[in-house]
Amino acid sequence: MPLHGTTGPASTEPLWQRVPQGASASQVAAALGAITLELDAALSPIIGPRGVMALWQRSLQLTSATYPWLAAGQSGGLTALDRSLLAAAVGRCDAAAAAASVNALLLAFHDLLASLIGPSLTERLLRTVWAPSPAPTSSGLPAQDPTP
Amino acid sequence: MSTTKVTIQRLATGVPGLDEVLGGGLPEFSFNLIAGQPGCGKTTLAHQIMFALAGAERSALYFTVLGEPPLKMLRYQQQFDFFDTEALNQRVRFINLSVEAMTGDLGSVLRRIVEEVTLHAPALVFVDSFRSVILASERSDGAHNNGLQQFVQQLGMLMTTWQATTFLIGEYFTETDANPVFTVADGLIWLRQSVHRNSMVRKMAVLKMRGQATLAGLHTYRISDAGIQVFAPAGLGGFTPATAAADGSGKASNARVSLGVPALDEMLGGGLPRGYSVLVAGPSGSGKSILAAAFLAEGERRGDTGVIAAFEQRPNRERNRLLADLIAGGRVSLLNSRPLDLSIDEIVFQLLAEIHRLKASRVVIDSLSGFELALASTFRDDFRGSLLHLVTALSNAGVTVLMTSELEDRFTDLRFSPYGSAFLTDAIIVQRYIEVDSRLRRVMAVVKVRASAHSDELREYTIDAGGLQLGTGLPEQEGLLGGRPTLKGPPKPPAAAGRA
Repeated sequence: MPLHGTTGPASTEPLWQRVPQGASASQVAAALGAITLELDAALSPIIGPRGVMALWQRSLQLTSATYPWLAAGQSGGLTALDRSLLAAAVGRCDAAAAAASVNALLLAFHDLLASLIGPSLTERLLRTVWAPSPAPTSSGLPAQDPTP
Repeated sequence: MSTTKVTIQRLATGVPGLDEVLGGGLPEFSFNLIAGQPGCGKTTLAHQIMFALAGAERSALYFTVLGEPPLKMLRYQQQFDFFDTEALNQRVRFINLSVEAMTGDLGSVLRRIVEEVTLHAPALVFVDSFRSVILASERSDGAHNNGLQQFVQQLGMLMTTWQATTFLIGEYFTETDANPVFTVADGLIWLRQSVHRNSMVRKMAVLKMRGQATLAGLHTYRISDAGIQVFAPAGLGGFTPATAAADGSGKASNARVSLGVPALDEMLGGGLPRGYSVLVAGPSGSGKSILAAAFLAEGERRGDTGVIAAFEQRPNRERNRLLADLIAGGRVSLLNSRPLDLSIDEIVFQLLAEIHRLKASRVVIDSLSGFELALASTFRDDFRGSLLHLVTALSNAGVTVLMTSELEDRFTDLRFSPYGSAFLTDAIIVQRYIEVDSRLRRVMAVVKVRASAHSDELREYTIDAGGLQLGTGLPEQEGLLGGRPTLKGPPKPPAAAGRA
């Protein structure tokens, strides 16, 4: 599965709606924590907490090959996403790597869900979290993947 | 005196044919169980009803429990045309109860349902699968039955007072269980599927629907991209004669219908009485399909439209140019048969739909043997019953019907159909081969025209590019029905006398 697979308005990274380009690793980690909570809130009532958990575990597994520190969130098996460990691991990276890994993780999550239930239903369910950014962020830069 | 009785509103389910089977729709605020084996379409039926009924004024809550994982359910259900992605989280909400169900505590499941119902005030509530709620409760507590009964009763009462029409979806295998759910439910819709040889037939029965008379028995249904379609036994009720009368094609009329072969019309006493069914029985190659094509072509010439259900061979230019042209011209509709798994109700449904669409007055079934083969094998045991159903439905529709029947020449008896069903039709034309002067020749006779005088001649006929050409009788021959006629009167040729 591609890490940066589906495109289109729905896959605009939600990270850049919360933090400016060039944000510090700890800001990125905090944003990730908030986003995962929002995703859980959007999906858990519908697919159940275990369904969401399984999506996170698979997304982490797919992205940790490229960004090994993401494996910290993988507690293994069918257990909940360990947000604090994941945030701590992301916070220890340099800013660019933190942002790249978080974006990759969120995209993997989005694309995994889209591969299962289709882009339009994914967009419908994640509308509150993944709202396409209407305008460039405060930094004046358009949302983009800042992978080095 | 004014009445103060409650009026039960009936909701249109949006599932074609289901409202007829339910007896006019689904009673509002009813508490229903959709039951059946795995794979028979329970969830699909529930979704189809939900998307059809849910609107701005009437929202729906769909509780998923421990059955099919919700992700998979969403993945597969969105393949159906009725699935409206935009409705999600608005008029339709899915809520997963797996955490509560895992505890095995029915009380916590009920509390969560009540919370969500209180929050969203839905008009429609679905619990899928309800069976898994029960199984979860069984695991933790061996004596679950009391708890279950209480749970079901409370749920039923709560949903009704919350003015929600409710559906429990569950896998049940026997409908005779003394299950508390069956007792509490107002409606019980049972889905089943049976595999016989290499055909699968799905059938539905409404075992219970409080407050209204449902159509008893099993009704076949089919699942396609558009969802479920139920084939209610159409055409047996009283709706079609009105249509027929409006068309002026009711049986009461004395009008006659030409078969397109003038000499044969004469033999029938001036054509076939309108609205009659005629069986054309004859051996292979005797020209039954050609007569059927002439019947439809004559209709087209007179401005009538027709429907042909060709169960044996698809009419094509090489085989039957006349018919192929009629179909291409749009005045005759060809019913595509889907062999091997049709139910009689489905065939009747398709025929009536085409008859209504084209306002057709002529129908051809070519042939009964092919029709029998096209039926799912499970229906073949009662082929005569199916045939009666078909003839009755078409007769109620007021159309004139020509059916062909392949008949093996036996030369020892006069048979009209291998099904012993000749009594079902109003008229019978029989075609035979005879041997005269070492040549195979064809003869035809009108055996029966109900309540009408008709010819009793056996007449020879030939088939050429113009269709059937009737000749004269063969008065000098006798024993035609034996297949090998002899010249009448003395002196008999010795060889012929020896053969006779």
